[in-house]
Amino acid sequence: MLYLGLIALVTLVANSVTRLRAVAVAFVAITFVASLIASAAATASQVAVTAVAGLASAGILFVAAGDGSYGEDPGWRLWLGTFTAAIVTPLAYASFRTIAGEPASLPLVQDGSGVVVEVAGTWLLSSGVAIMLTARSAVRVSLAALVMVTGVQLLARLAPEPRLAISLALAWLEVVVALGGAFLIVNERAVRDA
Amino acid sequence: MTVAAPAVLLAVAACVAFALRKRVAGVARLSLGAIGLAFIAVSVTPPDTTARLLDLDLRASDLGRLAGLVLLATIGMLVLDVFLDEPAYNFFPSALLAGAVALAVLVVSSPIVILALLLIGLLVPVGTFTYQVHRNRSVEAAIRHFSFVVLGGSLGLGSLCVAASLPKDQPAITVVLLVVLLFVAFAFLLAAIPFHTHAALLAGEAPASALALHFGVLVPVTFIAFAEILAASGLLPAIVQVNKVQDLLLGIGLTSALGGALLAAGANDLRRLVVYAVISNLGSALVGIATLSGPGIIGGIATAIVTGACATQQLLAAGTLERRAAGERPNVTHAPLAAGAFIAGGIAMIGAPPLVTFPGHFFVDLIAYALSGFAGSALVAAAILLLIAQLRAGVRLFAGSPEEWRIEPRPVAGALGAVILVVLLAGGIAPDPFLRPIAAFADEFLKALRPL
Repeated sequence: MLYLGLIALVTLVANSVTRLRAVAVAFVAITFVASLIASAAATASQVAVTAVAGLASAGILFVAAGDGSYGEDPGWRLWLGTFTAAIVTPLAYASFRTIAGEPASLPLVQDGSGVVVEVAGTWLLSSGVAIMLTARSAVRVSLAALVMVTGVQLLARLAPEPRLAISLALAWLEVVVALGGAFLIVNERAVRDA
Repeated sequence: MTVAAPAVLLAVAACVAFALRKRVAGVARLSLGAIGLAFIAVSVTPPDTTARLLDLDLRASDLGRLAGLVLLATIGMLVLDVFLDEPAYNFFPSALLAGAVALAVLVVSSPIVILALLLIGLLVPVGTFTYQVHRNRSVEAAIRHFSFVVLGGSLGLGSLCVAASLPKDQPAITVVLLVVLLFVAFAFLLAAIPFHTHAALLAGEAPASALALHFGVLVPVTFIAFAEILAASGLLPAIVQVNKVQDLLLGIGLTSALGGALLAAGANDLRRLVVYAVISNLGSALVGIATLSGPGIIGGIATAIVTGACATQQLLAAGTLERRAAGERPNVTHAPLAAGAFIAGGIAMIGAPPLVTFPGHFFVDLIAYALSGFAGSALVAAAILLLIAQLRAGVRLFAGSPEEWRIEPRPVAGALGAVILVVLLAGGIAPDPFLRPIAAFADEFLKALRPL
């Protein structure tokens, strides 16, 4: 329960900041909380792979910013993204709650049944979709892509074998998404500055 | 490790090529050498060889071997064309990495890993889509492509993760939701209509060689990955039981086949025509998969593979014609051999006999008629529209005076187009080596459909 509050808070922060470097720092927080949540359902090596990929991605975005002033103001889009995630997450959980096949409790810290992993993954995925659909530039497109991939990484914790291969593939995907996003941010800025 | 060796070789070569990318000639030769070695390695790997890498099972299937060889040959031709005709330093690492990912997708057994690798492959060409950023909208096109790929891919991965974690005997609504998400995800990745706007923008703004890498290599891999994921995800038995899901895939396929053909018929430039023709053919191929029958699956996958080769042939020719036209409307007088290659690619794209593109279209049309008269008629209408579109483009291309035709000085696209035509013709005369591996996969697909 506590982790769900934290993931919602850091997503809101990442969604609301206007500077790309602040987005990168906020994404570090998302990675940190997602790793905490994932640690209940994955081994230390799998969590480490995902966390390192998240940190590398945040670093790539930070460098791509060039300076502290570049970014995109979300404006009203912030609330659209937040409310969409708030509506979609309970709907998705209600549809797929049969994962465990039995009623799950929602403890304050520990997550033995995987329900926190599932809800947090769905939250990040739906937040990312909403941010992506309302993005106007490569800055928020990149943030949305990284948030979605982080959500997928959490959902993948529930999948059976091959868990290490899935962790590695998704970690590489996250880094490639960050590199692609950074490339687009740099090129878009070049066009705007011209 | 022999199963993974070709993909690893290309991945290492991509890293080296990226480090040395400014030395265009050297990197091009390195790329061609790596692709040649990977081609040999794939050819000599016996079918059904298995391996285990970390906790992941790998298998060299008949279809993987066939598709791997076709795709490597296509990438080799693209690299040769870029090297000789249109030097672009950022193309070679992208092409090598796309090849590595394509080969990896074809040997991996886990659906989630297949889709994750596929997404990496689809994101790699973003670097080749952007060019002359101050003079065109290529950055906007690349951003839209990036968005659609990540959006579709994340939805697909999410649905696969949830599907993998569900216990058996789920309510029908749960299965329907997951499968709908997966289908929509692949509709995004395949640019099926109405999820095609990123492809439309790319067609107008990205370089022809980058478009050929995407539509000639990565889109066919995406289609094969879709079929492999369906077969390996365990969702097929549930799909058979819920007719609505099968109808959804059929609907997406028919809309894409007809819509793509209509857009192709109205396309004003060569590259858009090719891209819409690919979308239309992949729509037909989706109809083949949606029939969940042996001939439909064989026809669908055969259509997807050869459509990639035809798209490469036509896009390279279109690129050469546009470059030689230097702003004017492309005409046969600018590059007669490239124009000939474009026409030959058009004939192959519509599935005309005796080329190897014919059996795939024939199987899908036949099984679509068996399923419903409307579906069969719609596919035939799409084929006629594509024929009209290609004829229209041909008439426009050959509207010049015959006396002015001179063979272009460096006819790379024309020569490569001739090679592709000969291969398509040879495959049409003796289609067994091409269709048999696809039939083996169709057999596995049907076993996954009805495991008992």
